[in-house]
This record gives sequence, structure tokens and C-alpha cells, in this order.
Amino acid sequence: MKPLDPRLVRRIGPARRHILVTAGLGFVTALLILVQALVIARLLAPVLSPVPLADDGLHWWGRIVPEGARTLATGLTVLAAVVAARTAVAWLQERLAHRAGVRVISQLREMVVDHVATRGPRWSAGGRTAEVATLVTRGLDDLLPYFVRYLPQLALAVTVTPVMLVVVLGLDWLSAVIVLVTLPLVPMFMILVGLVTQERSAKHLEAMQRLGARTLDLIEGLPTLKALGRERGPAARVRELGDAQRRATMGSLRVAFLSGMVLELLTTLAVAIVAVTMGFRLIAGEIGIETALAVLVLAPEVYLPLRNVGTHFHASADGLAAADAAFTLLDEKDPARARRSLGAAPDVRGRAIEVTGLAVATPDGTRLAPAALGLVAAPGAVTALRGPNGEGKSTALLALTGLLAPDAGTVAVGGDPVLTDDAAVDEASWLAQVAWVPQRPDLGPAGRTLSLGQRQRRALDRAFDSGRPLVLLDEPTSHLDRASRAEVIARMRALADAGATVVVATHEAEVLEAADAVVEVTAARAEVAP
Amino acid sequence: MSRRDASDLALLRAAIRDTGVRRWAIVRAILAGTMALGSAVGLAAVAAWLIAKAAQMPSPADVALAATVVRFFGISRGVFRYLERLASHDAALRGVVTLRERAYDRLARSGARTVLGLRRGDIVARMGADLDAIGDAVVRAIIPLGVAVTVSAISVAIVAFLLPLAGLALAVCLVLAGVVPAILTARSARIAAVAGARAHAEVSAAALSAMDGATEHRVWGTLDDAAAALRGADRDAEHAHELAARPAAWAAGFQALFSGLALVALVALGVLAVQRGDLDGPSAAVVALLPLAAFEAVGAVPAAIMQYFRSAAAARRLAEMVDETPADEATGPREVPAASSLALDALSVAWPGMEPTPPVSARVDPGQVLAVVGRSGVGKTTLLTTIAGALPPAAGAVTLDGRPSSPADTGTVVAMTAEDAHVFGTTVLENLRVARGDVTEDEAWDALTLVGLDGWVRGLPAGLATELGAGGRSVSGGERRRLLLARAGLAPAPVALVDEPAEHLDDAGADALRAFVTRMRAQGRTVVLVTHDLSLLDLADSVVSLDD
Repeated sequence: MKPLDPRLVRRIGPARRHILVTAGLGFVTALLILVQALVIARLLAPVLSPVPLADDGLHWWGRIVPEGARTLATGLTVLAAVVAARTAVAWLQERLAHRAGVRVISQLREMVVDHVATRGPRWSAGGRTAEVATLVTRGLDDLLPYFVRYLPQLALAVTVTPVMLVVVLGLDWLSAVIVLVTLPLVPMFMILVGLVTQERSAKHLEAMQRLGARTLDLIEGLPTLKALGRERGPAARVRELGDAQRRATMGSLRVAFLSGMVLELLTTLAVAIVAVTMGFRLIAGEIGIETALAVLVLAPEVYLPLRNVGTHFHASADGLAAADAAFTLLDEKDPARARRSLGAAPDVRGRAIEVTGLAVATPDGTRLAPAALGLVAAPGAVTALRGPNGEGKSTALLALTGLLAPDAGTVAVGGDPVLTDDAAVDEASWLAQVAWVPQRPDLGPAGRTLSLGQRQRRALDRAFDSGRPLVLLDEPTSHLDRASRAEVIARMRALADAGATVVVATHEAEVLEAADAVVEVTAARAEVAP
Repeated sequence: MSRRDASDLALLRAAIRDTGVRRWAIVRAILAGTMALGSAVGLAAVAAWLIAKAAQMPSPADVALAATVVRFFGISRGVFRYLERLASHDAALRGVVTLRERAYDRLARSGARTVLGLRRGDIVARMGADLDAIGDAVVRAIIPLGVAVTVSAISVAIVAFLLPLAGLALAVCLVLAGVVPAILTARSARIAAVAGARAHAEVSAAALSAMDGATEHRVWGTLDDAAAALRGADRDAEHAHELAARPAAWAAGFQALFSGLALVALVALGVLAVQRGDLDGPSAAVVALLPLAAFEAVGAVPAAIMQYFRSAAAARRLAEMVDETPADEATGPREVPAASSLALDALSVAWPGMEPTPPVSARVDPGQVLAVVGRSGVGKTTLLTTIAGALPPAAGAVTLDGRPSSPADTGTVVAMTAEDAHVFGTTVLENLRVARGDVTEDEAWDALTLVGLDGWVRGLPAGLATELGAGGRSVSGGERRRLLLARAGLAPAPVALVDEPAEHLDDAGADALRAFVTRMRAQGRTVVLVTHDLSLLDLADSVVSLDD
């Protein structure tokens, strides 16, 4: 996986700004680390050198921290200033990262929700709503550790590491060569370890997930077992499955931690080799103590960001996976948008709705529900849709709202088509005439504190009072007590008597009795995949 | 003391004790971690000494040992880190397995009321993610904190041995760099737990409402309102996060500050000591450069504190789940009657905090069927749970053969099939054996034929041995209901309670229910059936309605 998703940079403003700020702070940090190392070398060199220091051991880099810093007062002042600045940068970095992280998460969440909300009922029926709900409520939160932990380290890896390398090269080329040789070995060995262990860890991972799912399944069923008096046995099975899962997990960790070990091994060993090599060259008089001290302090800093990037890699992987899922979703083309426009919707008032040959494929494409539905819903009448569950009554009502494109058939008003498989009238002008009450209405934030029955009443009231000429009711009497049911049926009747076109999907005998016409809805096996 | 009143720390301690993780396993991991980070400190110290010594141009033999030690530390860090990670994860995983078994066992033994009152999502979260979080306390909190203490002690010891005053300065800075960020992080975690969790719940609700009700919002033109509600919730969540992030940022700042102060102090003390002639050069180099490596271990403290809060919250949720009611009294094998009659006497039921249902009375003898009707949410399932003995009546009484029912009757005298009863991720046959362990294949086929599922099972790739549910073959809603009926018919308890959730059964479902009821009658079983489908009321000898 890429360390940085280009779509985050291109499409999410706060992410782009934050990445620039983080990179800037990375350079400041690099500069501060450099000054700190040079000051330490300046301060220690005079007391460690057996003879007075003749020349400037920091070469060109001495211009950043002049030789005056060799005195305790000056050197310590500079060092204290560096410490103060690093404190401020650490504070600022953490503060900005949190702020940017939550902004990016909010923005992505709003984009995904907005996108899904306009995808239409067919998409919702496709069975991905649970996955998207998890993504927007929990998954995207994984981006926070990505922004707070991983990204700053990544910024340091691309700023501090090269800066330090250049400085080391300027100070002591042989040390720079050691660093340059080991540096590419880090990614190389990590990739190599990854390749060698990939198959093994995939196998372990699969076993881990299977065993984990089995354990949870057993635990999930505990109330069922208790209700049948069979709850005592499975504890031992939980243990067995757990032990097997532990063995599989350890097997995969033994492999997974190898790459971490290679990373630590190479980076620490390289620093050790730099130190030892410089030691022997000091004895031979090939380099000075001031140079050696600066390089000794700088060498670990070259590797530190790389090590931290490795440490936070897993946190970042989850966040990036969530961002990837979000962008993939956002980039999906919505087929409904490609529909041809049939212009403004005709007036429904006083004209019959004609449905001919209406067919909608189920999400798995194996059935048509409804299949070839035909009906005429006259104004001033209640038309009931009847049929067993899953035959397509609710889907037929959704098609009448115009938000679900059928796979075949047309909906027309007094002969003017309003919906076909590839065309629809202007959405706003049609919806302004349609009142629809689904099963389990949502009502938005206002509906959250209400019971299902109360919400049903509230949603029905809204439809009855809306004055819209086409009223679509999906099982309006479920979740209601007997008295409310009678009242709902009476109001539905009154609405039709006042001239509205009412189409109702129902099982209830009382509702069917109140209807002027009853249409049987049936599904059929899809002959050819649509 | 009830578990609920205990402090978070006590709860987490109890949970970790329950993992049975041996002290030695933790000590071993801390030792390995100490060797790993200690190697970094050692590398810094010996390398500083080596460079400073070499500057005095001694014979190469004088620094040969130091050079070897530097190389050793260069290798040992990675190796010991690897060993530490393996040791800590192994200890935690073993602990979680033990804890899960014990928690399962304790939950299974706890009152029927506790178990039947559990929501499916809750159990999975408690026994899955929450137990893992308790295990994480070992890996990500206890061991790093232990390593921080040992490595800091080693660093202080090295410096103090060379220059006592510098050792004191380092000790003070290390303690401050550990404790101050720990306090700030704890503050941040507390804010996040209260304000953050609330704001997060609001965001989730707004997002789900905007998506689930999308079609409704489009029809009624309220899409913008829903989006605005989500934006508002998001802004509130950002604000809550901002409050929590503030102390976290100070924690990061203070870590940098105290490690920097240590560096300034030790460089100054080292240089002064050499100038005064109290210390030789190489030792001063060790004192001055050690702070660069010594603070890595305490750097892990904030993350460990965050983990402590996560784990403690998990331990609390786990304790609360198990602590609802005392465990069942020890029950030996009980005499279960072959037939049992059931009476409801002005029975009114409620979960704590719920409005009690209107009182109902009925008597059902062996071979008879009682139907319970009522609108959704009125308490039909609660009534069944009470009849099953799992919940004490809010008023009135349930009697079985003339004696009051008790939690010990759940599953023995009264078998209940809840509307959300579980289909296990195992074979068709094992799913039926959930009712009774010794169901034979013939009995299984008989039960499946009764509910009209024989044809479906014959069509499955491995018949009775086909795996269902998670990871196996998916089961449609109708098939699931009929499979549960077949299972209910196989349970040996004399009283069967069946919660039929479908608002409208299809024909096959209705046929299955009729056949089931007929069979139960013939066997002289007592049946209570919850239904929404009024056309099925002719099956019952008596009907009670929970509607007012």
C-alpha cells in the first residue's frame, strides 16, 4: 500500500493543507536536530580533546553553529533555545495533527453519506449498507492515528533523513558511505522478508480469522443455548478454539515481527559500525573529535524516522484502507444519473397512473420482483397491491416514487410516460406530487426518540396532511393497534374520496376491504440476467 | 463489594488476574524489553566512551573491548525486541484464551435473566473486542511501563555512578517526562471517554439516519436537513475531540521539554566536571550523550496510559455484563416432568425500567396451545422470557404444575425459541442437536420433514452435514424460521415457547407452524406461541392479547 493516498491530497482540502504544514514542521525539526548535534559537538570537543582544537571540525557546517559555541555559556544558550523550539514544535505538531485528522474524517464522512444518500434504493438493497455504515461510524476513525502518528514520521523520513545524510557527507564522507550503503538495505530486506513470509502469513491469517469467527459464533449463540438448557458444554470448546487461534496467531506473529527485527537490526548495527569505525580513525588521527561527535549524534537521527514509520505502519494501514474504501465508493458511477430526462412531470391530479410490464431484478439478479406488473391506479380510488413477502410490492411502490429505475416497463400518467428503464421525468417536479410512507419510517433526527409505532403514525400524518395527489403507503397498518388501524384506514379512504390517487401495499384484510381495486403482485425467475 | 462499584483499576486488575497470566511470563517480557531498549542506552554510552577515549589516541587494543560491545549492542537491540514482542504477545494471547473461557463459563452459569437479556451485538463486543482489549493491557500498558521503569533506572544508575549530581538531574527529568505526560494523557482520555463518546454516538446516529432514510428524505425534500444534522453532529464531535487533544498536545510538548532539559543539564554538568578535574573525558562523554537515548522508554508512557483507559473501560463493560444477577444456585440433575401445565395469574411483565404490560391470565394444560398477540414492542417477548422463568414477574405469577417458575426452569422445564434465536455456524444436524445432544439422523429428517425443509436440505451439497451460517451456506429468513421450529420441536422440555416474529408468514411458514403445533399437541406438550398473524389464531385453544 502507498504511504500516502494521492486522492487525500487532491480532494480533501484539510488533508492537503495539513500535509504541507507537516512537511514544513519536518524541515524545522530537521534544522533543530542538526543545530542540536552541532552544538553538542562544539561543547564537548574542547573538554574531550587532549590538545587544544586547532581547526574547525564542523567544516562548512560550522557556519550554522560558529566556534563561539565552544564556550559553555554560548553553547548552552543555543542548546536551551533548541530545546525550547523542539518543545514548541512537538506541541504544535500534535495539536495540528489532531485537528486536521478529525476534519478530514468529518469531511470524508459527509462526502460518503451524501453520496450514498443520493444513490437510490436499488443501491441500498444491494446489501452494502452495513459495510458503509461501519465505514462511516467506525472505519474512518482509523485515519486519526494515521494523521497523528504516521504522517508526521513520514514527513520526518523525507526531510530529516536526507538532510542528515547530506550533513554527514559534508562532515565525514566515510561515515556517509556506511550510512548510504545500509540505508537501501532497510527497504530491500523488509521487502525480501515480506516476500518470503507472505504465503505463510496469509495462511495463518486465514486460520486466525476462521477460528475467531467460530468462537464468536459460539458466544453469540449463548442466549439460544441457555433458552434450551444447553449452555454448559461449550466452555471447553471455546477454550479449544481459543488455543488453536492462539497457535495460529503466534505462528503469524513470529513471521510478521521478523521484518521489524530486520529494520531494528540494520539501523542499530549501522550506527554501531559508524561509531566503531570512527573510533579507530580517531586513534589513527584521520578525523577530529569535533567531527566525530557531530557524526555520532547525527547518525541515529538518519534512521530514527524510518524506524518510526515502520512502527506505525500498521496503524496507518487501517486508516489508508478506510480512506481507500471511501474513495472507491465515491468514485462509483451512479447509473441513475445517466437516465434520459423526459422533462417536467405531468400533473397527476385527476389523471390515472398506468403501470405496464414493470419488472425489477432482485439484487442477486436471479429473480424479477415484481415481474411484469400492470395496473391502472385511478384518481379518487384506493388501489391495493397484494402478494406474499418478497414478490415486489414495496419495490413497485419505490418505482412509483421514480427513485428506482425499473429493468423493464413504464409508468405513465394519462398516457404521458414518467418513468421507463432508461428515462425519467425531472425528479423534483415528480416528487413534489408524491407522498410515500415506507415500512419502518426513519423521520430523521426527530424520529430517533420515538417508538416504531409512533414513527409510523407520525409518518402517516405527514403523508395524509401533505396534500400531495399521489399517496404511496407500504403496509401502513403494521406496528399499530386496532384503534389506530381503523383510523388510518378511514383517513386513507377519505383522502381517496377527496380525489387523491392512493396505492397501498398490504396484507391486512381490513385494508384490502377498503380498497377499490386489488392488484396481485408476483415475482418470477429471471430468464436472462438483466 | 459489587463489581459495579469497584474502581476501574480494581476491575482491570481483577480481569488481568482472571487471565491467569503468570507473573514470570510478564517479567520475562519486561526483561527482554529492558535488554532491547537497554541496548540502545548501552550503545549510546559505550559509543560515546569509545569516541572520547579514542580522541586521546590510545593503543587500538585499549578500545577493542568497547568496539566489540558497541557491535554487540548494535545487534542485540533488534534481537531482544523481537523476543520481547513474541513473549508479550504469547502471554497476552494465552491470557485472553483463559479469560474468554472463564467469562463464557461465568456467563453461562449466571442467571437466565442475564443471559436472555443480552443483546447479540453486546455479547460479541464484550467477549470479542473487549477481551482482546484486556489482553492488550499486558502488551501495550504493563510491559512498556515496566520497561520504562527498568531502562530509566539503568540509565540513572550509569550516570549516577559516574557523576551523582548528573544522575539526580537525569532521574528528576525522567520522572517528570514520565509522570507529567501520563497525567495529561489520562485527562485527555477521560475527556474523550465522556464528551467524545457522546459526540461520536450522535454522529453515528445522524449518519445512519441520513443513509437509511435517504429515499424518504428525497421524497420529502429533507435531504439537506439530514446533511445539516450530520454536519452539526460532526462539528460537535470535532469540538469534543479538540478538548481531548489539548492535554495530549501538552503531553507531547512536555516530553520534548524534559528530555531536552536533561540534555542541557547533563552536557553542562559533564563539561563542568571535566573542567574542574572531577571527571575524565570519556566518562563525561557518557554523561553528556546518554540523555539522547535514555528517553525512548518513557516516550511510550502516553500510549500505555491510553491503552490502560481502553482496557479498563473494556474490563468494566465485561464486569457489568456478567454482574447483572447472581449466578444460578447450584443445581444438580433435576427431575423434569414429562408433561407440565402452565398458569399465568394476572401476570404483568417488564424489564427493569420498562412500563409493565397489562395483566393477563391463562391456563394451558399439556396438549394445549396458548397464543399471545399484541402490537410490536408491547412486551410479547418479555412475557415469554418471564414465562421461561428468566425474569421475575412485575406483578402476578407464573406457575408450573402449581409451583412458581424459577430461573432453574429455563431450558429444563421450559424451552424457549426467541425470535432472534441463533443458527450456529455448523452443520444442519449439529444445529438441530443444539436442542438435544443425541438427536439421530432419522429424528432430524423427521423434524425437517415436519416443517417442510426436507426438500431444501436434500438439495444442499452435503445434506444434513452441510455447514450453515457464518462461513457456511447462507440461510434465508423463511428457512431460518422453519429450521428454528424444527429445533424447538426436538427440545425435550415439556413446555415450548415459540416467538414467531414475522409480521406476515408466507404459506410455507404458516404450514410449518400448523404442522409443528399439531405434533406438539399429539406429544402432550404445552405450547405458548407469540404471533402477529391473526389468521393463525385458530391453532390456539386460548388467546391472550397484550394490547390495551
